[in-house]
Amino acid sequence: MSCTNKKYLSLMNKVLDEEATEREKHELYEHLDSCNECRVHFNELTYSTELLRRLAHPQLSAAFTKSVLDQLPAEKRHVILRWGSRHPVLTAVAICAVPMSLVVIGARHQTRDKNDYVLVNVSGDQT
Amino acid sequence: MDQQEKRLIKKVKKGDQQAFAELVERYKNSVFAICLRMVGNAQEAEDLSQEAFIRAYNHIDQYDHERKFSTWLFRIATNLSIDFLRRRKSNISLDAVVPGTEGLSLNAMLPDQTEQPEELAVRKETEEMVQNEIKKLPEKYRSAVVLKYIEDLSLKEISEIMDIPVGTVKTRIHRGREMLRKMMMAGGGDRA
Ligand SMILES: [Zn+2]
Repeated sequence: MSCTNKKYLSLMNKVLDEEATEREKHELYEHLDSCNECRVHFNELTYSTELLRRLAHPQLSAAFTKSVLDQLPAEKRHVILRWGSRHPVLTAVAICAVPMSLVVIGARHQTRDKNDYVLVNVSGDQT
Repeated sequence: MDQQEKRLIKKVKKGDQQAFAELVERYKNSVFAICLRMVGNAQEAEDLSQEAFIRAYNHIDQYDHERKFSTWLFRIATNLSIDFLRRRKSNISLDAVVPGTEGLSLNAMLPDQTEQPEELAVRKETEEMVQNEIKKLPEKYRSAVVLKYIEDLSLKEISEIMDIPVGTVKTRIHRGREMLRKMMMAGGGDRA
């Protein structure tokens, strides 16, 4: 711009940043009254920022949130803890079920050991 | 930050995904707006927004509760958008073919019921023009301008999000604003 006074450009920025004092605003507006060039410049800046402000803010649907949740890593131990505090009886049953299943597995293991033993014996006989 | 939000974040830190869903509901439109105006394409913006939330969830332990949650979240969204723009630079050709008009509407976006068709058409045209000009801004100016004018954030918040001094934020906004002014005036010249 050919308006040689750079001061007014920085005043424009201050006003647009909402950081100008009343005095500074007054000073700028007074200059704009007499300087066509700065007035046009300031109007253009105001107009451009106004267009930015008016850009749409689209609203996302619930599908977005669901999609985010679907992509989260599976809830781990926290699930069990929270679930446990909500269902104490079921949790107790579940906890009892653990040693019971261990017994079952142990029994199976034993049987297999016997079988293995037999197999070893058989193969031992063959050699 | 309000108490309810603090409670939600505590729950999220314990792995409560329902609590996280509430945070997503609170901030999804803001996060989407930032990404949309940064990259200029709704589908890509939606993907980036999802990624931002997933990252926030996975790194919730790194969130410092002394700060605003939105500051931290917007920082993730802004950085992801900038990364995306840098990656995309390597295949600009695709971009150049369809200038700006691509994918500004999307399934996940709710239609605005209040608008008349003609108003809608005019607004869409203006939006595309403005969006095209934003796209031409260097990314560091672009993010400052987007956070200021799309999210209406304070210079201080923007400086925290971008991790730069307030003075630098101001300079970037001033330069970005000046560039946009020139482009808009050189472009349409139609001030409808
Ligand atoms: Zn002047």
